[in-house]
Amino acid sequence: MGLFVLVLLCLYRGVFGPGVLNRIAAISAIGTKTLIILLLMGFIYHRVEMFVDISMVYALLNFIGTVTVAKYLEMSGEI
Amino acid sequence: MTRVTDDIIIRAVSRIMIPFIQLYALYVIMHGHHSPGGGFQGGVILGASFILYLITHGIADTKIRMSELKAGLLSSFGLLIYSGIGLLCLILGSNFLDYGRLSVILKVIPAQARSLGILGVEIGVGITVMAVMFSIFFDISTGGIVPEDEGD
Repeated sequence: MGLFVLVLLCLYRGVFGPGVLNRIAAISAIGTKTLIILLLMGFIYHRVEMFVDISMVYALLNFIGTVTVAKYLEMSGEI
Repeated sequence: MTRVTDDIIIRAVSRIMIPFIQLYALYVIMHGHHSPGGGFQGGVILGASFILYLITHGIADTKIRMSELKAGLLSSFGLLIYSGIGLLCLILGSNFLDYGRLSVILKVIPAQARSLGILGVEIGVGITVMAVMFSIFFDISTGGIVPEDEGD
């Protein structure tokens, strides 16, 4: 349950956070917490080997998304 | 978006990660029968590896490995595999994409022919999705204007 509260705290920082970098960091942290929640759901449903695959894809796309947004900000010259 | 980045961390991390991403995409495509995944998901992961390469290594290095012409040809080739297997089943006197009839050609029992047929279809779908994902990102990030510097 604590993870859901932490996701909400990160969501607050992502919505109201001052500046773009805080929002990017908050979204990346939400992605990581979602990955852990997926693995815990796998333990609850006794199908961990299925959920490990999904969580690996989630981590991968989270990384690529963060790199892409950072590159876009670098290109548009906001930072 | 497609300039070469000068950050050593991003370049090194992407150079290490891209082979594992592609290996994992092939695992998702081949293992799609009895785990989450399949042709579309594996193709998306494979396309994401090429997109990461385009972001980190610039457009000149990417054109050696995957250009827009190659992406277009690969998407048509994957669709050809998909519809070719479907039409082969149709020619052999069965429904479209009814892989059981492929056992006549492959000389195996029908259950095994079903497994092999759906694997071939998933490979075709994966190739198509990878090429289309790369092509969409390439078109959006360059705005359709490809800088004609060195190469070509």
